[in-house]
Amino acid sequence: MPDPIRENPTALLSGLREILGDKGLLTDDAARLVYARDASHLTLGRPLAVALPHDESQLRRVVGLCRAAGVPVVCRGTGTGLSGGAVPGNGALVVGTSRLTDLGPVDSLQRRVRVQPGVLNDGVSRHASASGLHFAPDPSSQSAASIGGNIAENAGGPHCLRHGVTLQHLVSLEWSDADGRALDTGRAVSVERGLDLVSLLCGSEGTLGLVTSADLKLVDNPADVATLLAFFPDLDDAAGAAVGLLGEGLAPVAVEMVDQAMLLAVEEAFGFGFPTDVAAAMITEFAGQSEAVAEDCERASALLRRHGAREVRQAADESERAELWKCRKKAFGAVGRLAPNYVSMDVVVPLGELPGLVREIQVIKARHGVEIATTFHAGDGNLHPGVHYDERDPDQSRRAHAAADAIIRAALDRDGSVTGEHGVGIEKLHVLPWQLGDETARLQRGIKEIFDPQDILNPGKVHPPADAGFAALKPAPAGIDFHWANLTVSAPADASLAQLQQSAMERGFWIPVGTIALDEGVGLGRGTTVGNLVAELLTGPALCPGGTVRDYLLELWAETGDGHLFHAGAPVFKNVAGYDLVHMLCGSGRVWAQPRAATFQLRPVPECLGYWRFPLPSDELQDVARLDRLAEYLAGRDGSLGGPMMIVDAQSARSVVVMAPGRNRPWDLDRIEKDLVNLLGKPTEQIALPFNRASEILTDELIGGWALNSSDWTFLSRLPGDEGGSNFWPAAMRRLIWQSTPRLVWSPDPTTTFPGWHADRFCSEGLVLPPCAPAPGVPRDFLKRMKILFDPSGALETPRWLEGQDD
Amino acid sequence: MTDPRPSSAVMDVDHLDELLRQCVQCGLCLPHCATWLATGNEVQSPRGRLLLLGELIRPSDTNTAAASDAFLQAFDQCIGCRACETACPSGVPFTLLEYGQLRATEVPPLRSGLPVPAVPGAVLRRMDQTAFLGFLSRVGDLVRGVLTVVAGKTWRRRLAGGPAGTGRLVRLLGSLPTSARSDTELVKMLDGLCGRETQLVGGSPNFVGLEIPDHLPSGPGVAFFRGCANAGLLPGTSRRLRDLLSASGCRLEEPGSQDCCGALATHTGRPGRAADLRRRNREAFAGALTDGTVIVAEAAGCSHELKEYGDDFRTGVVDAVVMLAGLDLPPMGSVPLKVAYHDPCHARHGQGIIDEPRKLLAAIGGLEIVEPAEPEVCCGSGGAWGLRYPELSDELGRRKAADLAATGADLVVTSNPGCLGQIADGLQVIAPDLPILPLTDLLWYAALLRIDSSRP
Ligand SMILES: Cc1cc2nc3c(=O)[nH]c(=O)nc-3n(C[C@H](O)[C@H](O)[C@H](O)COP(=O)(O)OP(=O)(O)OC[C@H]3O[C@@H](n4cnc5c(N)ncnc54)[C@H](O)[C@@H]3O)c2cc1C
Ligand code: SF4
Ligand code: SF4
Repeated sequence: MPDPIRENPTALLSGLREILGDKGLLTDDAARLVYARDASHLTLGRPLAVALPHDESQLRRVVGLCRAAGVPVVCRGTGTGLSGGAVPGNGALVVGTSRLTDLGPVDSLQRRVRVQPGVLNDGVSRHASASGLHFAPDPSSQSAASIGGNIAENAGGPHCLRHGVTLQHLVSLEWSDADGRALDTGRAVSVERGLDLVSLLCGSEGTLGLVTSADLKLVDNPADVATLLAFFPDLDDAAGAAVGLLGEGLAPVAVEMVDQAMLLAVEEAFGFGFPTDVAAAMITEFAGQSEAVAEDCERASALLRRHGAREVRQAADESERAELWKCRKKAFGAVGRLAPNYVSMDVVVPLGELPGLVREIQVIKARHGVEIATTFHAGDGNLHPGVHYDERDPDQSRRAHAAADAIIRAALDRDGSVTGEHGVGIEKLHVLPWQLGDETARLQRGIKEIFDPQDILNPGKVHPPADAGFAALKPAPAGIDFHWANLTVSAPADASLAQLQQSAMERGFWIPVGTIALDEGVGLGRGTTVGNLVAELLTGPALCPGGTVRDYLLELWAETGDGHLFHAGAPVFKNVAGYDLVHMLCGSGRVWAQPRAATFQLRPVPECLGYWRFPLPSDELQDVARLDRLAEYLAGRDGSLGGPMMIVDAQSARSVVVMAPGRNRPWDLDRIEKDLVNLLGKPTEQIALPFNRASEILTDELIGGWALNSSDWTFLSRLPGDEGGSNFWPAAMRRLIWQSTPRLVWSPDPTTTFPGWHADRFCSEGLVLPPCAPAPGVPRDFLKRMKILFDPSGALETPRWLEGQDD
Repeated sequence: MTDPRPSSAVMDVDHLDELLRQCVQCGLCLPHCATWLATGNEVQSPRGRLLLLGELIRPSDTNTAAASDAFLQAFDQCIGCRACETACPSGVPFTLLEYGQLRATEVPPLRSGLPVPAVPGAVLRRMDQTAFLGFLSRVGDLVRGVLTVVAGKTWRRRLAGGPAGTGRLVRLLGSLPTSARSDTELVKMLDGLCGRETQLVGGSPNFVGLEIPDHLPSGPGVAFFRGCANAGLLPGTSRRLRDLLSASGCRLEEPGSQDCCGALATHTGRPGRAADLRRRNREAFAGALTDGTVIVAEAAGCSHELKEYGDDFRTGVVDAVVMLAGLDLPPMGSVPLKVAYHDPCHARHGQGIIDEPRKLLAAIGGLEIVEPAEPEVCCGSGGAWGLRYPELSDELGRRKAADLAATGADLVVTSNPGCLGQIADGLQVIAPDLPILPLTDLLWYAALLRIDSSRP
């Protein structure tokens, strides 16, 4: 093997040493051997050296210097990646983030924290625990994996079923490009429109830039948690139970599973005393208010038994619960006890396909004569079959890899994806073309060339060769097409959103994006289409309990400016196969591409909507203080059905309306009501409405004159708190809707301006302004070149700021 | 009797190779490893060391000088705390790293470029001799006293950055374990923390200790293992432990010919002396082993090392904390303090002792136990290791001190002299007002309060 460091001890090393000092640059054999590996067991070569910068500026200077020298840069967090993302090729410089571990102060009002990339996932939650908050993505490697690595892989974890994957917990990122420039993704809130660079960078595996700092969202620690453990004599039944749980409209925060082989390994490792004569063990967790949790557990237990569970038990206390999770989270590591080597997989299929895939894996196992142990993020349809072998036996190795490829094909045949959370790296390069279409692969390569023209950022990863022979274009749906078993719906761009939502609600589900549009005049604008929803990231002020459509969009068909139809994503709940074009384009208007069809995730509809109106006293300052407290209270109440919101009476500013989605049980809304009375005194009006009929009953009068029916509004993207809270309210109070999750403010007045606030768009009759110019720090040159990639002839809408040469 | 402690030459490389294959390279051990946390360098991590070990056992790349300084240094910088072994879901045993460590220590220091302890050899060689430690402790007390007068209470922080020579001396002084020699001193100190004044018996400053009942014939027999550091540096604590054991009904004996357990000699590359010490202790405790008397060792480091003597010692030796937790202790008075317990690695990772000390603390009325972040991470004392890697050791001590201080505790307790000194040193810099004591001393004080209040 040629040894670059001995053959070529260039000026580069001394330049690096000048930046990093002696302790920040490792060039010895030991370091070069250790940093050649990660958790994937794959290798490409020996790195030139390892840089361990102490601050962001050192990191950027190091990257810039490498780019000038044409030396590849491989960013590394903790090297727990399973697809070889952090593995360097010969002569590359590894840039480790392990010394970038600053944690900013926790902003408990906005529920955010800014951290450097080397902070470990666990460390964020520990840091936030005093504020009653935590970082929701919880990969099994969370004790060791870095936030930078989580972002670069868009990591998932058991609780992502309820809370979403890493992407959904990012507000904004700071990053270094290949030149070492200090760049920003420029998002003040996660619902900002524009080509979403956060979505693009998240999951890009260090091939587009190095994340130097991240603004993370935090979520509340739940009031109560209950964890069920169920044992199944039959693996099929277990998979069926996972589908059943979600299909029944229950909202567990996690549904995890291990098969018998994995259970045996875990038992051997930890001796929990679980039965090992069962085919599968499943953990189901519910979180929220005690009564809701108790009720859900009861329903879930019955359902699990109905689906063939032999035994269902509930963790008696926190320590038993912790033990259960330890069993699940350490399962992967325990495979070392089963065989010296294994091919690990990360396939994901539409939820309803899970039992079928499980059956097929049994067949593949028998056909290839291999041993397989599997862990499942069952609620997400994501599974990690590990095929065991001993590398010293060539025949065994061959059979193991053949079986693994067969499993991946089986998942793709079921409309799945080759990777749900571990990433492509080098490990899945050979299977990615089975999934991606030609045009999609071309666009992904084009993006890489824009961000990294010299191919120095983690080269050789993520992109299969251009001539790899890609998959055929998947046909787009012709009409609204519900896949109830998968809890997804596909529809062409011109389908009526109102019609889609209505049909969904009849079955108790919806896309929770802030409309209960039962007739065309309501919510997101008259006659809004599925295409509009996706292109404009519409988030109506009415009854928006979830996130935005970006959180529920799974799959997108779109057309480039020069008329090429492409397909991105898959109808699965998580997917990291290549750059995330789906979420990058969602909300980018019709500037880069035209949406043609889309697939969304469906979620259970809240059963009812609580409505309270409270008078406000005439003293404005008192109001402010009370509204501040109310805002804080509401921000902390993010139930599984979404958070409450308040509306300050637009006409007179003399009353405030609070609405909260909830369950049709006396205890559910009672608790909120009690708290509200404590904060605001007696309400003058109170109603509990069936949620799916709320828009019929709630009139303009009830909510302040414009909120439901007006389609003219301005969306403001700075949040109270940014400007020192109280100063904001007196002016804002008169005509605003303030929503707690996500924290948004709307004004019905198109001309609304507040100092320091930035009006993102003005809606009128479903028409939306093109995205505004991006904030400083966002690389406009990249956006312009992206425009040329997607719309070479300028056939699509082009805002002024995108015109002309690079600045 | 053959000596069970191996040299690298007698370890079966094929067997090691097989064990090594159990490592799935997951990296879950990294955040438990003190040297990785302090350096952020994966060479100084368990997984990094195991990867290097693989290269040492079965070289794959002829370009790599597997026995180069960098390799050996990586093993040598391993503290041997075994936190990685506890953390590893795949059951990768510490034996592997121990092999690496042995390989490192077997290479003459000059050739391998490994650091030598930052104290003169003559001093180091005597560090396992009780009498010498006793002397050192008295000198230490004196110098510290003078420094406190001259440089104030925070002398450690002020002198931390002094010139190289003083730096070493200051460090050694700072990390020498100490606790109250006299009972009066201890009671005064804890009384001060609790904001109370315990009436001494008869108002006399000549304090009368715990009430020790006449030996019950049924009480367990205990052969007490002193340990060089406890006997030399913490004589008061050592006596208070014996009082507690006796007050709980144990029939105590103290074989006279016992000596240091030999851990220090092993860690400073003197296998001959270590073997000699082991032989002496075997003789001293042969009687206890045959008649089933439990051998109780006061320091976690000693109980751990003694258990390595062989199967007979592994079953015969009980750590003092475990012993106390299983006894009917005298009734305890109330100590209204927030107390953080620091787990010595020799207890937590070496012997799986986690619940026992907490159970003992929970038995004290009014006391609130607070848990520090990263309780499993080593404090960086590591015996002779800390003397050879003073900078790293200092950093780890401060990190640990900061974690302990962040709990808001009024008092820290632990059960190993090395940790006691190391953390005291870190606290001097990070949180000079937060005291640390041996667990024994706190238990003794609590038991004393009860006796005192029950008297007319
Ligand atoms: C036992 C075990 C369990 C696991 N469980 C899960 C799980 O449940 N869910 C899951 O999603 N994953 C899981 N993983 C995979 C892995 O932990 C995640 O992918 C994790 O996010 C990687 O983080 P890291 O810091 O180790 O990154 P590394 O492995 O160091 O790097 C991974 C990739 O990220 C890039 N990268 C790292 N930092 C940056 C940065 N600052 N900027 C740009 N690029 C960067 C690297 O270049 C590389 O491409 C598991 C792994 C193990 C070993
Ligand atoms: S030693 Fe254990 S925890 Fe560490 S990398 Fe190997 S298998 Fe993982
Ligand atoms: S024994 Fe301690 S210092 Fe050595 S590798 Fe393991 S955790 Fe790190």
